[in-house]
Amino acid sequence: MDAPPLFIMLCSGDHEKIQMAAMSASVAAVSERPVEVFVSMNAMNVFKKDVSDVRYHGGDYSHIMKERGAPDAIELLQQGKMLGDMKIYACSMSLDVAQIGLDALVEEIFDDIGGLTTFLSDAEKGQLVVF
Amino acid sequence: MSERKLIDARGAFCPGPLMELIANLKLIRIGDEIEVLSTDKGSAHDIPAWVAKVKHEMVGIEEQEDAWHIVVRKSK
Repeated sequence: MDAPPLFIMLCSGDHEKIQMAAMSASVAAVSERPVEVFVSMNAMNVFKKDVSDVRYHGGDYSHIMKERGAPDAIELLQQGKMLGDMKIYACSMSLDVAQIGLDALVEEIFDDIGGLTTFLSDAEKGQLVVF
Repeated sequence: MSERKLIDARGAFCPGPLMELIANLKLIRIGDEIEVLSTDKGSAHDIPAWVAKVKHEMVGIEEQEDAWHIVVRKSK
């Protein structure tokens, strides 16, 4: 039986949550499980092209991961998209309130701008995880 | 005659070794093999689980002094 698609709602700007979301999305995608990721709220900041100095902010594990050289979350998502079936959408409301468009975000990540209603409707077909 | 490609993923953390394996599996012919060197213990468990799930073939897995040596055959 085919595994149900995995739907990931990524809202937190914490490095640790973004890392787990990126790991989950990419590993599921390369394990022949379709994945959709919906990026919203503070998580959007991590994907901006223009970050002042440090892209990932978090707690103890964020420091440890940076020190030890854990895989980069954005690169993991790019690999997952390249090697599996993964779509990533930027929340239209989050872009609107921040007055930015897809062009402000890192390239080769987002498939499109998406709305919450559509994402939730799609997510009825599978499992939804929120980070 | 099958060929074996070596990937040195020592020092990479989960899921780095798995992702490197998968990227390289795309590049080789069916029947050819990849040997992954990994110092990540999680990958030593996860790579065989992934291989079983997506139906490639485990040739062998061995913990040597320098790393885990995990050999996978591309079967589709």
